[in-house]
Amino acid sequence: MKIIGLIIVVVTGALLIYAAADFPAWSDPASPASTYLSPYFIEKTMEETSVPNIVTAVLADYRGFDTMFETTVIFSAGVVCFFLLRISRREEEEPETRYYRHVLTGVTIQLKEGYKIPPSADFERIDAVWTPPDLIIKTGCRILIPFIQLFALYVIAHGHHSPGGGFQGGVILGASVILFAISHDLRTAVRRMSEKLIGILCAVGVSIYAGTGALCLLLKQNFLDYSALAGVLHVDPITARSHGILMVEIGVGIAVLATMIWIYNNISSAGRYRQGL
Amino acid sequence: MDIMDIIVLVLLFSGLFFLTGGAVGILRFPDFYSRLHPAGKLDTLGSLLAMTAFALFNLHHFSLGALLTSLKILLIVVFIFLASPTATHGIVDAGVRAGLAPWTKGQKRR
Repeated sequence: MKIIGLIIVVVTGALLIYAAADFPAWSDPASPASTYLSPYFIEKTMEETSVPNIVTAVLADYRGFDTMFETTVIFSAGVVCFFLLRISRREEEEPETRYYRHVLTGVTIQLKEGYKIPPSADFERIDAVWTPPDLIIKTGCRILIPFIQLFALYVIAHGHHSPGGGFQGGVILGASVILFAISHDLRTAVRRMSEKLIGILCAVGVSIYAGTGALCLLLKQNFLDYSALAGVLHVDPITARSHGILMVEIGVGIAVLATMIWIYNNISSAGRYRQGL
Repeated sequence: MDIMDIIVLVLLFSGLFFLTGGAVGILRFPDFYSRLHPAGKLDTLGSLLAMTAFALFNLHHFSLGALLTSLKILLIVVFIFLASPTATHGIVDAGVRAGLAPWTKGQKRR
């Protein structure tokens, strides 16, 4: 079986290398990409979409379909992690033993056989393997996280003018929440941003992207042709394309943010949502 | 070669000196904790000095845009100054909690 696999890999690799020989040479001025595609984007992007950053315009407007399905791939990655790893509580032994910690005094109590304390500010529920979060790390992260999130919003919103956009900004936003989960513990992070909310946000992000495209379809234009939004946004069609790019970038950002946190939560706790790592 | 260039060069080379020291320290120190010492301290100070040199060099042709770029570089400096020592502390803390004993004199390198 291994030998068959090896043969398939070698044959496929040889075919790919053989096909790569037909590619135009690096920076060949006669290649199709350099003869009409790149010059078209470089010359026309500004007057057609009023977006100075050509990469953003190509990514979210000229090749909007490609980016939409990239977002869908990210969404499916999060969903697959959830389905493969998440262990729901019903499968575990029931009733379970719960641990609570009195926040002010640090006294820990253990409740057996499914007893629970109603949620309050005095007691926080902790895991059996709970370790006290370090004060220095907690404080350092508390200072840094708001600025990281602010920068992430800047990267999303400023994708039109500088390197950035939904994917990068969403990753930075997700990383700030993951930093919070590392510096405190997973249970605290999940209390702030529940599993349900993450799942919904993940789907909402993709829906914003696809919904923007469908809205264009409803307004008698092609799918993802943002110039159709001119009437709704009360701007001319060229500015509408720029605004449409911003709308889908926000959708991408939300989807990437939620997927990052979802994957981290599931992998770090092996699907149990207890003390991570 | 005005006074600004000299300041930039001095800052840049002292930054490079500390970064080189950090690299040598990571290679030569005997165990986990002592290797984190150059990684945390010298890298922070080295990148701090080098970044400040970049920010000053960028002000060579003074304009509002250049000033904004320099301010952004200084913000990176602040970020490194906060994040790098905290991260080093976190790694050392994880090592202590995992039960790794520090190296003492006479033991083998690990």
